[in-house]
Amino acid sequence: MDPGRLKNRLIAKIITRFPSLADRFVVPYTPRDSLAIPWIPVIKSLEQSTIAVVTTAGVHHKDQEPFDMRDREGDPSYRTIDLRKGLSSLMITHDYYDHADADKDINVVFPVERLKEFEREGAIGRVADLHYGFMGHITGRHIPALITGSAPAVARKLKEDKVDLVLLTPG
Amino acid sequence: MGLIQREIEKAGVPTIGISIVRAYSERVRPPRTIFLKWPYGHPFGEPFHAAQQRVVLAEALRALYAIRDPGTIIDLPYKWRRERYEDKDIGAILPRGPQ
Repeated sequence: MDPGRLKNRLIAKIITRFPSLADRFVVPYTPRDSLAIPWIPVIKSLEQSTIAVVTTAGVHHKDQEPFDMRDREGDPSYRTIDLRKGLSSLMITHDYYDHADADKDINVVFPVERLKEFEREGAIGRVADLHYGFMGHITGRHIPALITGSAPAVARKLKEDKVDLVLLTPG
Repeated sequence: MGLIQREIEKAGVPTIGISIVRAYSERVRPPRTIFLKWPYGHPFGEPFHAAQQRVVLAEALRALYAIRDPGTIIDLPYKWRRERYEDKDIGAILPRGPQ
């Protein structure tokens, strides 16, 4: 592994242990239209709703191309996660947080087993088959690619999938 | 993550996001957020701690229905590794549909 990736992983381990350091490494991007917050009221009851997860924890299937960890500005692309392939088909590619615990139990960042329990118990209508994985830590020139490309593309797919509610989970 | 959340909401699907870095959510301003002062990489807590993960999931679903003002961030009271989740009543956390 190249030294840059090792350095990123080391910083990720330190931040996970000392969360108060995180603010020094996070340079938030403020959207130009941040005063206008998009808003869609929740109309359907939870018991009738289909729920999907969109995660930025770097989750993808093992047979998909991993996220690009060499580009310092991140990787704005996404992966479609099909739950019918089973949890053992999933892995995490993300050097900017320590995912040792999520590697042991993916529900720490991608709570699909808990969602399935809620579905069986009747608390929620249905867990969607298709979910979407991004790698967080997207900066610089990739932000426009995310905002005008991959994020609206995933939003359209969620509409096509007839998803009623979306849960977003970070790494 | 908040940028993606904003795009999904713009496209017409209601969203809830979990935040570990409050400053980030304050800047990006996603429509609905729950915040946990927990370490990176652990938005649902500890591995194999299903009771804890269920509480966070129920809180996220509750927030979808409880938040009325765009941009609201709900600070959850749970302290990292200082709580007992096994006794918590999930049914009491879950929303009872749109009010």
